[in-house]
Amino acid sequence: MKPNFRSALALLFFCVAIFVLPLVLGGFWIRAFTSAAIFALAAAGVGLVYAQLGLINLSQIALIGVGGWIALRLNFATDLPVFLLVVIAGLGTSALGALFALPALRLRGLYLALVTLMVAATFQILFNAFQFPNGGSGFWGVAQQSGQAMRRPSIATSDAAYLAFSMVWLALGLLLIEAHKRSAPGRAWKMIRMSEANAMAAGINVTWFKIWAFALSGFLAGTAGALLAGALRQLDARSFTAIEGVLLFALAVVGGVYSWVGAVLAGVLYKLLPALLNNLGVTSDLALIVFGVALLHAIMTAPRGIAGQFEALFQRKDKA
Amino acid sequence: MNLRMTTAAMTCGLLAFATAAKADSGGPVCGLNTGEAATGEPIRVGGISGNAPPGDFSGGTRAAAAYFACVNANGGIHGRPIAYSVGNDQWNPELAGQIASRLVEDEGVVALVGNGSVVEMAVNAELYAEHGVMAMASGCAISECFESANIVSTNQGPLPSGIGALRFAIEELGAEHAACIGFNIPNNGGWACDWMNRYMEQHGLRGTSILMDPTSVDLNGTYLQALASGADTILLMLPAGPAIGLLGVAEEQAGRDMFNWVSPTPLYEPGVTEVLGDYWDGHIYINIELNQFDSDGADNRNWIAVMDAHGRDGDRRDTFSQAGYLSARFFVEALLELDPESIDRASVTDAIRGIVGAESDLLCGPFYVGDGDRHMPNHRGRMVVLRGDAFELVRNCFDIDTAYLEPILEQERRLGLRD
Repeated sequence: MKPNFRSALALLFFCVAIFVLPLVLGGFWIRAFTSAAIFALAAAGVGLVYAQLGLINLSQIALIGVGGWIALRLNFATDLPVFLLVVIAGLGTSALGALFALPALRLRGLYLALVTLMVAATFQILFNAFQFPNGGSGFWGVAQQSGQAMRRPSIATSDAAYLAFSMVWLALGLLLIEAHKRSAPGRAWKMIRMSEANAMAAGINVTWFKIWAFALSGFLAGTAGALLAGALRQLDARSFTAIEGVLLFALAVVGGVYSWVGAVLAGVLYKLLPALLNNLGVTSDLALIVFGVALLHAIMTAPRGIAGQFEALFQRKDKA
Repeated sequence: MNLRMTTAAMTCGLLAFATAAKADSGGPVCGLNTGEAATGEPIRVGGISGNAPPGDFSGGTRAAAAYFACVNANGGIHGRPIAYSVGNDQWNPELAGQIASRLVEDEGVVALVGNGSVVEMAVNAELYAEHGVMAMASGCAISECFESANIVSTNQGPLPSGIGALRFAIEELGAEHAACIGFNIPNNGGWACDWMNRYMEQHGLRGTSILMDPTSVDLNGTYLQALASGADTILLMLPAGPAIGLLGVAEEQAGRDMFNWVSPTPLYEPGVTEVLGDYWDGHIYINIELNQFDSDGADNRNWIAVMDAHGRDGDRRDTFSQAGYLSARFFVEALLELDPESIDRASVTDAIRGIVGAESDLLCGPFYVGDGDRHMPNHRGRMVVLRGDAFELVRNCFDIDTAYLEPILEQERRLGLRD
């Protein structure tokens, strides 16, 4: 696929997603697509770390929760515009994401996966112990009563407008990743992935660029968490279990971690498929079976994920 | 009493009379009870329940579905059948929001009936208010369900039922320090246990909250926490499954006689007596929100008849089911007051808000809605004790005295239901 054609396709996709989908979808699918867009953003982050550095991060769900927590806390404590809340949630989570990178400086593969899984489990317990702010007083902001709602931006108070708002954030997040890939960090990550020793010999600050990747991934997770809080108007600790982190990583791999299409596909699989099953009157848990089969398929036949298969298809057509 | 209330009361009276007469003959009584199927343009009604671990809250929507099927087979709403569409939120807030949007925005339901969930009401209360649609729930367990203008439930939820159990424990069992064991969910266990503690303090006694992580329940640890708290009474503010698990832990550690054991409604379920066995005979007191499953009241017998005739195999026959039947019955009675050709969301919302003084032997007091910003019409309960293989009534209808009810009692005064 030629770069110009690829860019045009991305532009067309996001034009449709931002301007057309909110107008043509019903209430059910608007909400489902909003969730898909938000989790695609988070999947893009986890995919970035895996694709660029070959590192497995299973704690992305915890970072989404942290972003949501920051956004909710600031929402009730300040009158800051929602746009700013999302940015601050992203930056705050980014700092935590950078901390998560510390084990990654020494660990890889299974061991890093286990460490990040334990981090996710730790946050699962913390979220359940301290809960998400709901308008209460004190540092934790939790009142043992009905919660108040998270604000939405004045331009996106309706569900349809909020879908467009979330899609814009997804587009910005993917552009941010693309910008990194095409500049110094992208080149550094590529060298580190091929050989850390060679990268060091070439004068690349391996520690810094690893932390940078995790911080960027954390930023995307944090913005996703803030957007999720706005979509649901509140957050529930039970949504951020460690197993969801494993699922999100698995679906990022199934979708394909090497292109933005893969992140979008991960969001679609993660949120649209269960919604579709539920809408058909079938338990959405059936999606887990589909995910398992899809993961097997990806591991055995499509290491670049479904997105990679699409690209290969287009390339064959181009050659023909 | 204005003309509307008089008409509603007369209709309720006639339907209650018909219910009693028909229930005596064994068949279900529903709506107009004509025996002829309704064939007109369907009236769209929705329902949302949660059925996934750790609990099945589908009893309300299943009973409402059975009652609507019965109504449709008996003349419908002056010839118009009810098309009832139900979604399962699977305890997932995102799914709950999606289903509500589908029902309210896409399908344009005139109301929701029989809802039972631990997440749905929190996520959707604002949506219901925005769209002016009422939810006549039957399985409420979180605060939003009782603190929203557009949600009203026929069940009590954990707060009145728990306080009712505590009142009994104080008055009959000499409780001085109660440990409220619930899930650490702010609008569920946290909310209810917080009010339990205030109730104990109000009576110069002591209350302690022991809140568990709902995603990793450690019953042994929780039981040890209760022991360490020094409480003399344990209030099981939990769904039936975890409550039975905790009682199992207490039995293993011979802890039955170390505490008074009381519980709100969830432990009152068919089959619980067999599961718990002789060890707990005479030692577990439960506050029940609606009448006993085997009571002889006409409405209770009609609930059973409706479920027998129109329910599905495997439908739950629990308190939520009774409450779902009641919500559906009150809803249908409100609709029957309307001109069938002009039924729309606005007229249905007005009709539901106009329900005042509806009666049933399942309840301990009149059911009403009104135009308040919150609703808790059912706050009087009964107490039963596990005895042999059954539950025995030990205290009939009684109310609770808590500051939480002050705005509710004020509404009742305004509606002429209380002096």
